[in-house]
Amino acid sequence: MTNVIQVAILGLLLGGVYALMAAGLTLAFGVMRIVNLAHAAFIIASAYISFFAFERLNIDPLLSVVFVMPIMFLFGVAVYQVLFRRIEGSKKFGEMTVLLTFGIAIMVEGLLGFAFTGIYRKAAPGYANESFIVDGLFLPQGDILFIPKGQFYASLMSIVLLVGLWAFLRYSTTGYAIRATTQNRAAAQIVGVNVRRVSAISFGLSTALAGASGALMSYLFPFFPFRHWQWVAVLLALVVLGGMGSMKGAVIGALVLGVASSFVVDQIGPTWGPMTFYLALFLILLIRPQGLFGKEAPA
Amino acid sequence: MIEDRAAVGPDGSAPEPEIEDIQRPPGPARYRWYVLAAVVIALLALPLFRPVISSYNYVLTLGALILMWVAMSSSWNILGGFAGYISLGHSVFMGVGGYVAGVLLYYYGVSPFLTAPLGGLAAVALGFLAGFITLRTRGPAFIISTIALLFMLMTDNFEYLGGAAGLPLPPLEVSQEWLRVPFYYAMLLIAMGAVWTAYRVAHSKFGMGLRAIAEDEVKAEVAGVPTRLYKISAFAMSAFWVGVAGAIYGYSIAFIRPTVFFTIAISAQMVLMAIIGGKGTVAGPVVGAVLIYAINELSLVVFGATELNIVIQGTMLVAVLLFFPLGVVGTLRKMNRLPAFLNWD
Repeated sequence: MTNVIQVAILGLLLGGVYALMAAGLTLAFGVMRIVNLAHAAFIIASAYISFFAFERLNIDPLLSVVFVMPIMFLFGVAVYQVLFRRIEGSKKFGEMTVLLTFGIAIMVEGLLGFAFTGIYRKAAPGYANESFIVDGLFLPQGDILFIPKGQFYASLMSIVLLVGLWAFLRYSTTGYAIRATTQNRAAAQIVGVNVRRVSAISFGLSTALAGASGALMSYLFPFFPFRHWQWVAVLLALVVLGGMGSMKGAVIGALVLGVASSFVVDQIGPTWGPMTFYLALFLILLIRPQGLFGKEAPA
Repeated sequence: MIEDRAAVGPDGSAPEPEIEDIQRPPGPARYRWYVLAAVVIALLALPLFRPVISSYNYVLTLGALILMWVAMSSSWNILGGFAGYISLGHSVFMGVGGYVAGVLLYYYGVSPFLTAPLGGLAAVALGFLAGFITLRTRGPAFIISTIALLFMLMTDNFEYLGGAAGLPLPPLEVSQEWLRVPFYYAMLLIAMGAVWTAYRVAHSKFGMGLRAIAEDEVKAEVAGVPTRLYKISAFAMSAFWVGVAGAIYGYSIAFIRPTVFFTIAISAQMVLMAIIGGKGTVAGPVVGAVLIYAINELSLVVFGATELNIVIQGTMLVAVLLFFPLGVVGTLRKMNRLPAFLNWD
C-alpha cells in the first residue's frame, strides 16, 4: 500500500513537470495550428542555458527561469516573424509547420551538438538529490514516504507558471484575444483582433514555457542534444491524448500518463516507461482520435 | 512559351506557329531512355574498373549507400509524395527489415541476400497494420502517430533481439578486397526495384488515385477513389524496399542495433531527400538522394566530423520548404526547364 502511494506521488510529480512542457506545445497548436516538433529541442536549448548559468555563475536552476523565459520569449517571437509569417495561408499549413519545425529541430540539435558536444549533462543543485521524508500520518507503522525535493520544487514551479498562464489567458486583454483566436481565427480578425500580433505573442509564450521547462529539466533529467526526439515524442503523446490545442487536456494527459508510466516502471521495468506514452498515443488514436478534450480529430 | 511572345508579328501579321516550341518535353522524348540505359550500364560496370579506382572499397561503399538512399527516399515518396501523407517514422521499416534478416542470420545462419525480400515483406505487413491504425488520422496527427510508431517499436527491450546492444552478425566470407562488391550490386538491384516501383505507381490508376488524395481527399472519395484502401496500400507498399534495404544494410555493417536503424535521423534523411529532389515526382527522390549525400560527404570533408553537417541539413530543409517547396524537379518543371531525362511522370 505504501509502495502504491509512493509510486503515485512520484508519478504525479513527474506529471506536473510534463504538464508544463506540454502546455507550450498545445498553446502553439491551439492558437496557430503549429505542430511544433522543435518544442523539445527548444527545451533542451534552454536546459543548456540553465545548466551553464548554474555551472559558471552558480545561479540556481529554479531561479534561472527569470531570465530563461524572457530570452526564449524573444527567440520565439523572432522565429515566428522570420519563418511562420511566410507560410501563413499556405494550403497545407498544418503539414508545412510540422516539416518546418522538423527542420528547425534538426538545426537546433546540430548547433547544440556542435557547441556543447553530445555528452550527458545534469546540473546538481543541493536539493537535487535530497528528499522530504514523510512518516506517521495514515501510514502503517514503520513505513515512510520519500518526496524528492527537486521534483517537488519543479512541480511547484510548474503549478505557479500554469496558474499564471491561466490567469493571463483568462483576465488580460491579450489573453482574451489569444482565446478568441484559438476559437475562431477568422472571426477574431473580423472583430478587430490583430491576429498576427496575437500569434507572435502566443508562439513567444509557447517557447517561454519551453524555456521554463528547460530550466527544470536541467537538474531533473540528464540531457544531451539528440535527446529531444524522445522528449518530443512523449510530449506529443500527452498533447494528443488530451486533445490537441486543449490546455486542460494537456495537463490532465500529463498527470495521467505521468502516474501510468511511473507504475509501469515500478511493475515491469525502467526501460518500458517511455513505451507507456507511445502505446497510449496509439490506443487513443484507435479509440478516440480527437483525444480526451478535443472537439474534432486534428486534421 | 507561346504566350510570352508578341501576339502579332513584326509586320503586323499573325505570327507563325513555332512547332518545336509546342513539343513537350523539350528534345526527343526517347532520349531519356538512352540516358537511363547509360546510367544503368555505368552503375553495373563500376565494379569492373577495379584497377582504375584508387580507393575501390570506399567508392563501392559510397555507391551502395547512395543507392540505398535512392531506394529509401523513392519508397517514402509513394506515401509522402504521391499520397501526401508525410511519415517521419519510415526508419521503422528499415529496422524491421534489418532485424528480420539479422535474426535469421544470427540464429539460423541464413544469408540476408536470400532473406532480404522476407525483411521487405515483414515491413509490408507492419505497414498494413500501422496504416490501418494511423491512417484514421490525417495531416499533423498522422505525422505524430508515425513518430510514435517508430519509438514504440524500438527494440531496446527484447533480450532475443540483443536489447540495446543489438546483435553482432557474422561477416560475409569473401576476401576483403571483394567484400563490397556483393553489397553494391544488391543495393543497385534494390534501388532499381524501388525506382521502377515508383514509376509504375506514378503511371497507374492507383497512382492517380493517390495524387487525387493528396490534392483533396474528400473530393477524391466523392469521385469514387477507395481512399482508405489506397492509403493503406500506399503505406504498405512504401515500406517494402525500405525493409529490403535495411536487411542488406545490416549485413553490410555486420551488426544490428536499435540506435542504427530505429532512429528518426534516418527518417529525416528520407524526407529531406524526397522534398529537396521534388516530392511526388519519380525522379525527385533520386536527384535528392544524390544531392544530399554529396553535400553531406562534402561537409564532412570541409568541417570534419562535427555536428555542422546536421545543421546544414536542417537549414536546407527549412530553406527548401520556404523557397522551393516543389524541390529541384518540381521547380524545374514549373519553369518548363525540366530536362527530358528527369521527366518520368
